[in-house]
Amino acid sequence: MHKYIVKRLLWMIPIILGAAVLVFTLMYFCPGDPAEIILGAGASDAEMEHLRISLGLNDPFLIRLGRFLKDTFIRFDLGRSWITNLSIADSIAERLPRTMLLAIAIMLLSVVIGIPLGVVAATHQNRWQDNLCMALALLGVSVPSFWLAMLLVILFSIKLNLLPPMGIGGLQYYILPALAGCTGGIAALARQTRSSMLDVIRSDYITTARSKGVSEQKVIIRHALKNALIPIITIIGTQFGRLLGGTMILETIFGIPGLGSYIVTAVNNRDYPVVMIGSIVLAAMFSLCMLGVDLVYAAVDPRIKAQYAKKR
Amino acid sequence: MTTGTVKKQNKVLEVLKRMSRNKLAMAGLVIFTAEILLAVLAPVIAPYGFAEMDYTAMQTGPSAAHWFGTDEMGRDILSRLLYGSRYSLSVGLIAILLNTALGMVIGAAAGFFGGWVDNLIMRFLDVIQSLPAMLLTIVISAVLGPGYFNTILALSINGIPGKARMLRAQILKERNAEYIEASESINCSRFRTIFRHLIPNCFSPLIVQSTMGVATIITTMAGLSFIGLGVQPPTPEWGAMLSGSRQFIRNSPYMVIFPGLAIAVTVLALNLLGDGLRDALDPKLKR
Repeated sequence: MHKYIVKRLLWMIPIILGAAVLVFTLMYFCPGDPAEIILGAGASDAEMEHLRISLGLNDPFLIRLGRFLKDTFIRFDLGRSWITNLSIADSIAERLPRTMLLAIAIMLLSVVIGIPLGVVAATHQNRWQDNLCMALALLGVSVPSFWLAMLLVILFSIKLNLLPPMGIGGLQYYILPALAGCTGGIAALARQTRSSMLDVIRSDYITTARSKGVSEQKVIIRHALKNALIPIITIIGTQFGRLLGGTMILETIFGIPGLGSYIVTAVNNRDYPVVMIGSIVLAAMFSLCMLGVDLVYAAVDPRIKAQYAKKR
Repeated sequence: MTTGTVKKQNKVLEVLKRMSRNKLAMAGLVIFTAEILLAVLAPVIAPYGFAEMDYTAMQTGPSAAHWFGTDEMGRDILSRLLYGSRYSLSVGLIAILLNTALGMVIGAAAGFFGGWVDNLIMRFLDVIQSLPAMLLTIVISAVLGPGYFNTILALSINGIPGKARMLRAQILKERNAEYIEASESINCSRFRTIFRHLIPNCFSPLIVQSTMGVATIITTMAGLSFIGLGVQPPTPEWGAMLSGSRQFIRNSPYMVIFPGLAIAVTVLALNLLGDGLRDALDPKLKR
């Protein structure tokens, strides 16, 4: 098991390096002269040329790529923003917790609402409860989060004056963003829970458990749901990964200075170093998420754990 | 050859027949078809031009003259939504064709050739998928710059890995089937074996995913213009309209409600249709 974790962690290295090369290459082809972006339009030609030489912007692509990779992954120097001249590492360290808080809040809401919806739908298959839950799930995937965000602001901030429309402060600032962001996750989880519950609910061991006289509630939670969990965990993992990207728009709407809005602002300002490092951080977090999903599999399902043990 | 086409048509008809029994799927189909008609006929139907300003009615709520109200420049929101549907729908459809085609070619190559080709392609897809889809779309969109075709390109890239993986998995499942051996034994070229025999047999999940994919692309596109990339104003794109309405959210909530409703209804219709197609293509899955 440990060997497997180490192997997976090592495997992340080429993936993240690959992501770095990909993002660097994309940024290399971005229109606009970096020297002009840094100095502003008023700078003289001599100043711009001087900056280009000092930043090595006149070097060929491969040399610049090599230097970028060396700075980032060997010297751990993430560089500075072109626009604000602030250290990117510091900015990310300041912003990342906000993005994580938002993402975790959204994920918790999705799990707490989505899985019960799916269980109710499966245990009341083809009755009105099922139809209602699935209709809700369908609405959940169809409503764009940024629209829902604006509707929530209209209702809770403008009409009812209950919650702040944007900014950061206490936890109450995260309620609306989390509500707006959780519908997709709720929908995906409810659907997956329903279908994998239906897969297991007719199994022999469920009948056995019932005939032993185990209470219905216990049958559903301890026996059925536990066995239906693997595909549900996959969905949780992929949804979390998707969230890392999805928070970009939510953070922009709600004015939360997190990693997502940092990258969006950087893209709009052509602040390329920030875009590159931000993307690499997101890619690393995403890969860690996927690794986490695989490890949770092993924790939940002894059969999978046995497989790893055999491999060793 | 003739028997082949007859059989294929029967299958298509059978699927359509099965789907026609599904009321929700038909509702989705009707809504989506209606939207396409509205988009095509927008210049005929729309009561005003999409950039036409009515200085007597600026930022007014829904009324008899302007059913969905007017925006801050006195432009009719209904007309703008109708013209906007042309962008959303055409970008969605073209981007999905592009990414399905590319995903199919890549996935087919990986699945059919196997070995190092497969390995190389899969590792590359791993790298692409390690970046959140929205981030990749935003970055590519920034590289390509604004504009209609650039937006289509940026949006089509992010579905490719999913499609390629799915087709590869299907092909790995199908490649040892007898009909592949048969086609090889009668000396079909590899190209022909892949595109004429293998791919059609892997089609059903691809169709379902593509239908849902149009919905994802439309939402992503709206999200993209919402943060100021992609199609630029004054183009009446739905996401851009939504984004523009943000500063008037306090006094004119209808400016927020209608463009979002247009997106939500379209996405809902496509999801209904996709669900129905999935059930119709694979009756075993239906519960």
